Amino acid sequence: MMKKEALSELHEKLTQELRRGILVLATLSQLKEAKYGYALINSLAERGLDIEQGTLYPLLRRLESQGLLHSEWNVEGSRPRRYYAINSDGSRLLELLTVEWRDLTTVLDVLLDGTTTRGENNESN
Amino acid sequence: MNLIDRYVHEVGRHLPRKTRPDIQAELRSLLIDALEDRVGREPAEAEVIELLKEFGAPKQVAASYYPEGQYLIGPALYPLFRLVAGIVLAAVLGAQLLAWGVTYFIAQDLIAPLEALESLWNSIPSSLGMVVIVFAILQWFEVRPETEGEPWNPESLPEINEAETVKRGERVFGIVIGIVILVVLVFFPESVGFMTTPGGEFFTNPVIAQYIGWISFSLLAGIGLDIYLLWQRRWGTTTRIAKIATDLLSVTILFLLVQGHTAWLANHGSSGFFAALERLPDTIGGGWQVIGMEAFRLAFGVALIISSLETLVMIFRMARANLKNGYSPGALPPSRV
Repeated sequence: MMKKEALSELHEKLTQELRRGILVLATLSQLKEAKYGYALINSLAERGLDIEQGTLYPLLRRLESQGLLHSEWNVEGSRPRRYYAINSDGSRLLELLTVEWRDLTTVLDVLLDGTTTRGENNESN
Repeated sequence: MNLIDRYVHEVGRHLPRKTRPDIQAELRSLLIDALEDRVGREPAEAEVIELLKEFGAPKQVAASYYPEGQYLIGPALYPLFRLVAGIVLAAVLGAQLLAWGVTYFIAQDLIAPLEALESLWNSIPSSLGMVVIVFAILQWFEVRPETEGEPWNPESLPEINEAETVKRGERVFGIVIGIVILVVLVFFPESVGFMTTPGGEFFTNPVIAQYIGWISFSLLAGIGLDIYLLWQRRWGTTTRIAKIATDLLSVTILFLLVQGHTAWLANHGSSGFFAALERLPDTIGGGWQVIGMEAFRLAFGVALIISSLETLVMIFRMARANLKNGYSPGALPPSRV
């Protein structure tokens, strides 16, 4: 049987992987209005998703280089801040990912609840 | 704020030059945002230290801004790299052992252990370094050994046919022997020959010396093909044609070598190996050279017959494979090479 520490380590690693998987979707969902990095961290945290700053800021750059976000320096506040907002390609991808996510959660709910809705449907066909 | 400046500067040192100023400016603004939100006044040094610790070590933060999956030799190329590095290591060791053996044979001088270690210390890292450089270049150009991402049909999977599977042991043996001979020919060309009398003068074979360029070219072609076959793992039409071409080249060179030896022997009045042996008691000095050259001619003659037979077998196998399959899936070139 696995040792307690090994199990806890594995749990932590797999949780991180799960969270990493939803990071893009979560970030895109909050950038319909332009936000700067720290405001986005807070916005996500307020809604229950804590993301490390060291993870989120490079991700914003990556999403921008992939052509999903648009960014610009805003000098109107107390000091210059870089604001990020989703663009049309990003919005399209967000829609697709949202559908994918909802399908996945439906399937996983079924799997985790132990019911066999799909199997029963297949048999009735 | 001095700590923040120092931190941002340190992160910048590890960032690509192109994006450095922009990322530094953003990082500074994000750090100040975080401090203002937490403290709401001029922060104490301890508070800045706590925040910077949360952000992470400068090198780590800078690394997170680099694109993912940066490798000197990536996972796709690594298995082939290990294989080639292993072969090169074995060949270098083999060549060194052979060179020491030849030195001992010619000069009757046993190489000192420290000198041996020094030469290994020089040759192993440099040859492995060359392999790393070659693979790093392949990685840079994103060469992939597998046809990943290409459309394929399971029906096109080749039938399991032992004749089409590349025998790794044979190829590795061929590469090691090829490299060993190549090293001797290129670096010790004067040591290809024989002793005229036990412990006496060493006679360098003049015919081989004449064809060193062609022999080296043929060996290189053979080694290159063997490495490619190890990569592909299966014989295909292209590789069979290439093998036949390299074999024909070997046959031609062996034929020229046999002919060259015959001409040399004719000039030195030899009428054949056994005739030379019979006349041995009456001859001194030059007689041993004739026998040595007769032995070389005999060896090249045998090699010529074996190579010719091998070439015929290869032509037969290619014809059979093509008649059977119509085409050979193993002949498909790898993607993006």
